[in-house]
Amino acid sequence: MAITILRRLLAAVGVLLLISLFTFMIFFWLSPDPAVQICGKTCTPERIDQIRSQLGLDLPFWQQYWQFLSGIFTGRTYGEGAAAITCAAPCLGFSFQTNESVTDMIVARMPVSVTLAVGAAALWLLAGIGGGLLSAVKQGTGWDRAVMTTALAGISLPNYFVALLLQYLLVVQLRWLPFPQSVTFTEDPLLWFQSYLMPWLVLAFGYAAMYSRIVRTNVIDTLGQNFMRTAKAKGLDAPVVLRRHALRPSLTPVVTLFGMDFAGLLGGALITETVFGLNGVGKLTADSIAKNDQPVIMGVTLLAAALVVVANILVDVTYTYLDPRVRVKSA
Amino acid sequence: MSLTAPRTISIPVAGSTLLEVDHLTVTFPTSSGPVEVVKDASFRVESGDTLGIVGESGSGKSMTSLAIMGLLPRGGTATGSIRLNGHELLGRSDREMRRVRGDKVAMVFQDPLSSLNPYYTVGLQIEEAYRAHNGGSRRDARRVTIEALERVRIADASRRVDHYPHQFSGGMRQRIMIAMALCLEPDLLIADEPTTALDVTVQAQILELLADLQRETGTGMIFITHDLAVVSQVAQDVLVMKDGEQVEAGTAEQVFSNPRAAYTRALLAALPRIDDPFDELKGTSR
Repeated sequence: MAITILRRLLAAVGVLLLISLFTFMIFFWLSPDPAVQICGKTCTPERIDQIRSQLGLDLPFWQQYWQFLSGIFTGRTYGEGAAAITCAAPCLGFSFQTNESVTDMIVARMPVSVTLAVGAAALWLLAGIGGGLLSAVKQGTGWDRAVMTTALAGISLPNYFVALLLQYLLVVQLRWLPFPQSVTFTEDPLLWFQSYLMPWLVLAFGYAAMYSRIVRTNVIDTLGQNFMRTAKAKGLDAPVVLRRHALRPSLTPVVTLFGMDFAGLLGGALITETVFGLNGVGKLTADSIAKNDQPVIMGVTLLAAALVVVANILVDVTYTYLDPRVRVKSA
Repeated sequence: MSLTAPRTISIPVAGSTLLEVDHLTVTFPTSSGPVEVVKDASFRVESGDTLGIVGESGSGKSMTSLAIMGLLPRGGTATGSIRLNGHELLGRSDREMRRVRGDKVAMVFQDPLSSLNPYYTVGLQIEEAYRAHNGGSRRDARRVTIEALERVRIADASRRVDHYPHQFSGGMRQRIMIAMALCLEPDLLIADEPTTALDVTVQAQILELLADLQRETGTGMIFITHDLAVVSQVAQDVLVMKDGEQVEAGTAEQVFSNPRAAYTRALLAALPRIDDPFDELKGTSR
């Protein structure tokens, strides 16, 4: 087991290195010169050269990549003397547009994205699993059709549309909720909750739709298994049969899915955060892309990749505990 | 005596009639009208005896057993009469039938791997059967479970009880299914093709085990198979089914030595015989 995990970790490091290399390559060759951007409109070629050497942009590719990579572990300093800017480890780069280290920018936005992801995940797991289960057990009835129709809507309606629709209904027309504002929980718990409620719902809707369909399929599949007949033939109560024998085989595969989706969301919900004006990592990404703030885009890309890779390992380890066929070798 | 019928079922006396099935008809609705998958079947099982039900796929033999268990697939209805120790089973609520299932009538299925839940240890799966009917502590249930595993000759039962189904061989898994069925000491055991998925040597071991356990406990048994050779080894009485109809019924001796139905004769003729090298030729000439 320990060896398996170690091997997975090594592989993960390899994957992350590759991702960082590719991201770096894209920005190195494909995007406009950051020095020109920083220099602004009243710029002289001498000034550009000065900035280039200050930022290390005149160095060859591998050297620049190495600087970037080592900066993550040891931190780095841009420029020299009094004008030098230090970026403490883990340094994912420095944004000269905002004069902040990328790491600090991400860390500052992380709480919003985490809050969004956790709340939405709780909602979509509840709705997705509940809905899927109901749909499967009441297969072919009105319940089933109602859940599946809603799920179809959740899958096909774009996030931003649902967000706008919800805002229009709940905030403008019905006035049940105030317009979302960026407050922390400690400042005003009620307003905090009200501000997050719509983003949670919007985000959860799409995922819940997908999850309910998957859970429904899994449960129906499990209900048709021979061991379900055995369970009934033993004289077990119907709820026990469902809870013990149908649920676990049906929900174990969902763990894999959930790990990936949740990790993806921690890396920022771009559209939802933007629509609701939430200052999370997703909004940071969107803003940085709009401003072409390359160091930030690179930082969030790496973060998102790292989260998915880590989640992947966690899911694999969890899975071995959930499925005895993976955990225990045949005798 | 309590007023609830299922608890009043008497203790079987050897040789007394355990199960009486009369005019059992199982119907399924289809788009082109109802289809009878079992038509007017009537038979008896004496306690301590074995009734072999023989037939090819789709002959209705499995539906007959599921009707007795009250576990017909959705949409299926059974009419007629199924009496266990004189008590009618048809028409009972699912709740009442749950007390019969496992406790009075237990079942062993064809494919032991898919019949066991891969996510739970075999011990837990036997324990839950015991506890569903007897309550009691987990420790009691575990003791009974280990005893049951020992009775079906699983070596090192106290350790194996915590293993998962995939850690056992096919024959062992079927022993586990049998242990599960017998831990509650049912009056009737329905074995639905219990050896079909197993290879021949294991098949023989399982048949021997079933016979031994039946001698010990006096359980009545319905043995469903498509294999006449197997029936001749285990059953005192034989019922031959075809297309949902009962084409022949009688003692094993009668059916094998003096079959009345043409279908039974054809089935018997299809059996390879070790003492008759020209069997194949003879079979085709008939």
